[in-house]
Amino acid sequence: MVNEKELQDAVEKTVKRDDVKYVVGYEKGTYGFQAKPSFAYKPEDAKKFIFSPICVHNLSVFPMLEEKPPLRKGEEPDSRKLGVVVKGCDSRAIVQILQEKGLERDKVVIIGIPCEGVIDPKKIEAKFPGQVDNADVKDDGDNFIVTIDGKAHKVKKDELTPDKCKTCEYPTPVLYDILIGKEIKSKKKEDYKDVKTFEKKSMKEKWDYWEKQFEKCIRCYACRNACPLCYCKECMVDQLDPQWVRRSVDLSENTAWNLLRAFHLAGRCIGCGQCERVCPMGLPLMELNKKLEKDILELYEYVAGIDAEEKPLLAMFKPDDPEEFIL
Amino acid sequence: MDILIISKNDLPKFIDELIKKNTVFAPIENDDTILFGQIKKANEAKLDYLNSQYPPKALILNQTETLFKFRPGPKGDIEPIKIDEKKVIFGIRPCDAKSLAILDCAFSGDFKDPYFLTKRDNTVLIGLSCNKPGVNCFCTSFDDSPASSKYVDILLTDIGNSYYVEVTSDKGKNITKGASKFFKPAKESDAKAKTDIEKKAIEMIKRTQKTENIAEKLDKIFENKFWKEVSDSCVGCGTCTYLCPTCHCFDIQDESTLTKGARIRVWDTCMNPEYTLHASGYNPRPARKNRVRNRIYHKYNYYPKNFDVIACVGCGRCIDLCPVNIDIIDVVTSAGEVKP
Repeated sequence: MVNEKELQDAVEKTVKRDDVKYVVGYEKGTYGFQAKPSFAYKPEDAKKFIFSPICVHNLSVFPMLEEKPPLRKGEEPDSRKLGVVVKGCDSRAIVQILQEKGLERDKVVIIGIPCEGVIDPKKIEAKFPGQVDNADVKDDGDNFIVTIDGKAHKVKKDELTPDKCKTCEYPTPVLYDILIGKEIKSKKKEDYKDVKTFEKKSMKEKWDYWEKQFEKCIRCYACRNACPLCYCKECMVDQLDPQWVRRSVDLSENTAWNLLRAFHLAGRCIGCGQCERVCPMGLPLMELNKKLEKDILELYEYVAGIDAEEKPLLAMFKPDDPEEFIL
Repeated sequence: MDILIISKNDLPKFIDELIKKNTVFAPIENDDTILFGQIKKANEAKLDYLNSQYPPKALILNQTETLFKFRPGPKGDIEPIKIDEKKVIFGIRPCDAKSLAILDCAFSGDFKDPYFLTKRDNTVLIGLSCNKPGVNCFCTSFDDSPASSKYVDILLTDIGNSYYVEVTSDKGKNITKGASKFFKPAKESDAKAKTDIEKKAIEMIKRTQKTENIAEKLDKIFENKFWKEVSDSCVGCGTCTYLCPTCHCFDIQDESTLTKGARIRVWDTCMNPEYTLHASGYNPRPARKNRVRNRIYHKYNYYPKNFDVIACVGCGRCIDLCPVNIDIIDVVTSAGEVKP
């Protein structure tokens, strides 16, 4: 379990630095099992910070959302660092962005938190529906302790965590400036069981399944906007001239969007699962991401977001790279 | 208003009767999501549901609306679209029905929108009271009730063995008269049962938004740093606006190949950087701060000023599904307390 006081102290110390603009972490949300991103601009803001299994967001999206308004004459750009509180999976997003040179290492202060699994908001809502008042979830080894109206419930972690936590190999951030608490080693292994099961289906079964999913898509682009790796200055689907994807919301264009998104993240997705978490229509987007992740691992022995010094997959070439799939 | 009851056994028969004569839409379960879709049999409708993920406004103000089709080129022509289909929306919640009445203001103003208004005229709303409102329901903040019959043609309320039926319009009467064998006049005890259930449902709504004089209050804090603070955590997706039953901004585009095309109207969202982007390249809402503020002002300032009604019905969808817990109850209540 994470010592929140230690976290708050680290945040306070970081915000006090002249070269830091803010630190983004988590605070209690407005109801039930919600946490929300919290921005500490001043040292006293750090007191709001929490960390518990309800901290489901990947905050490394925020440095990429930083807006750069046009400068007035003689005005200098704000070059201060941004502080980010990250879990293991979240830190891999920063590493991947650093690899791609989307961020400079000295522009972020990474406050790492070893994480033993978060809740899946949909699963906890199904198990404990209708919570208005802030309810608490604590980590307790193989269980979560869920406290509602002062009453504690012990629930097996597997029942409440998203799939990504069940196979998480990197509970401790892979890159950090400050680590809160002690490093955790994972005994879990990603075996791509679900991908392998799906691969056995016939082409027709696969299409039928995904058509049913893509039909539901409303193209709100929450999957894109919550993804720290979707940081193109202008997304392909927003371009008007030429217009690559039509604005019509129908199966054809929705399929184009969803495949475009998945492929653009090939070799880049670090599996934080934000796309799937935020999808209002419940599309199982991680199933697409995991399939690509597995293929890339098998073909190129490459795992995204591990080593900031490594070259991105699509920016390197080895003479013995497989090429059977090239037409 | 006609007050009737229909037994629970007769309801599916009544729905099947409706399906014979009309295109009927009802809440349908699709995996874990509830969506409004066309039903061919009564048992396809799911009636014990909280609310649909996607608002039923999409049946009137479709997310993608083909305005007309055309063939481009010198020999080109235009093919109008037929929009006169008769529809019944069965099981719509009172809040979503109210949202359509709110949208009427925008679409029947100086310019009467033929697409929206024709579909609205051709649609009968058979509402279903909310006996168990959700965590983020707050219709009562607008003096409305989860069992309000004000904006539907017929309202059904589950009172145990039967449904209490309030028929409020001529459109509604035509329906119940055409299927009169299923309905019986309601007794006083039935009316009391409905009132009791409504009271209970209202008590279950725990959250309140403070909206007193909100339009005037917002006038004074347009440039306040409050909006930067609220929007800091916004990731800029369109979930809140696309799930909103009253949001109605749209974009019009021609989508064509060399031989055929269509002019379409699609939902737009003020969270999108392209929204209101001028041809010159100038954008009056360049930052997330401006865009988040626009969503709140459109609902709680511009709309009340133009049409005398707040453009929010308290369905709670934007709160339930915001990726970063930007909570409109909280934002508006706090905005009202900001010192100018």
